[in-house]
Amino acid sequence: MKFFRGRRVLTASVLCVCALGQALAGTIDPRPTPADWAALAKLPDWSGTWVPNITDQSRRIKADPTPWNAAAARQIKAMEAEEDAGRPRGLFVNCLPEGMPSWMLISHNALEILFSPGRVTLLGESDGNRLRRIYTDGRGHAADPDPSFHGDSIGHWEGTTLVVDTVGVLPQSFIAVSESVGVPNNGDLHVIEHLYLAGPDTLHDDLEIIAPHVLSRPWKTTRIYYRQRAKKYEILEGVCLQGSFTDGKDKDGNAIFVPVPQIDGNPKPQ
Amino acid sequence: MAAALFLAGGLSWAVPCRAHHSFAMFDETKVMTVVGTVKDFQWVNPHVVLWVYTTPKDGGAPELWTIELTSPGNLTRVGWSRHTVAPGDKVSVEIAPLRNGSHGGGFRKLTITDTGKVLTSEFRDQERPGLQ
Repeated sequence: MKFFRGRRVLTASVLCVCALGQALAGTIDPRPTPADWAALAKLPDWSGTWVPNITDQSRRIKADPTPWNAAAARQIKAMEAEEDAGRPRGLFVNCLPEGMPSWMLISHNALEILFSPGRVTLLGESDGNRLRRIYTDGRGHAADPDPSFHGDSIGHWEGTTLVVDTVGVLPQSFIAVSESVGVPNNGDLHVIEHLYLAGPDTLHDDLEIIAPHVLSRPWKTTRIYYRQRAKKYEILEGVCLQGSFTDGKDKDGNAIFVPVPQIDGNPKPQ
Repeated sequence: MAAALFLAGGLSWAVPCRAHHSFAMFDETKVMTVVGTVKDFQWVNPHVVLWVYTTPKDGGAPELWTIELTSPGNLTRVGWSRHTVAPGDKVSVEIAPLRNGSHGGGFRKLTITDTGKVLTSEFRDQERPGLQ
């Protein structure tokens, strides 16, 4: 497997995670050793809250265009025309996760990155289900992963760069360039990312997006995040569907959520 | 149109960031000022919503306007909290009105009448690291 060249490659028949030591037969997630915890201190410091460069996201729509295939390009053109006419078709108004790769491409919200032995975890904001588990324990992809919004992600460190390989993404998950322009990946999506510090407090995610059903060729693009450490930047809980409800009381005086009439993901004006 | 609403066209503002849907349903080329009393301030994801009652000049029934902002997280970072406004507060709110003419819009600027405090939600100014 090219991705794990020079590394220990584990197969389904070798379930121990030897890189972490103390492996137990049948255990994929053994107790980390003191050395495993100490090794985290040698990784680059990605602590804090990372906020996206939204201006750059928008700039790249034209400066770094997505190589849609002909069929997708026709749909994109129609969506852009609708948005220009003030009739946007929101892609995410149902509150399902933006998923991969759209979360990384178009999010307007902050994220945080946690390191633990054998794993990197990305936690987002504005959507309670927005998280990515990236396994760095040397395992390969699951043989037949259940399709999911964020896919099956494995990673490894090349120096101070985290390389992430993602497959197993739901075909419905969008490749979006804005909140109203994008198409589902339609299956067989493969995303390769290189995440690294481009400056002391600037994180780059270089993405290569391979989507054979909607792209004419792999799309290489970059997204930029800035580190903040002030209290006001800490991630807040975000549950997308909460906006569809308001506070109320039931007949027994219990605090409950009461639905707010919605139109296309927005409160219905009077 | 309620007398408490003032419409100006052709103004160019930075586009507020919203995290859930496109902002294109709001006419960003127009600025309307909604003057009235807060009915509710819904501090939730994906969009904070400010509900304001206005009173038409001709004495008709109060109109309820629905004003959408960005997320609680993004607003916190530009100085808001869930206590920034409360039901009953007198406010003046600049919005980009809905293109379809319904009583709603995208948030631009809030002035709290009693205190004169002014708040915006422009967090693209923060696209650099290490801010306080």
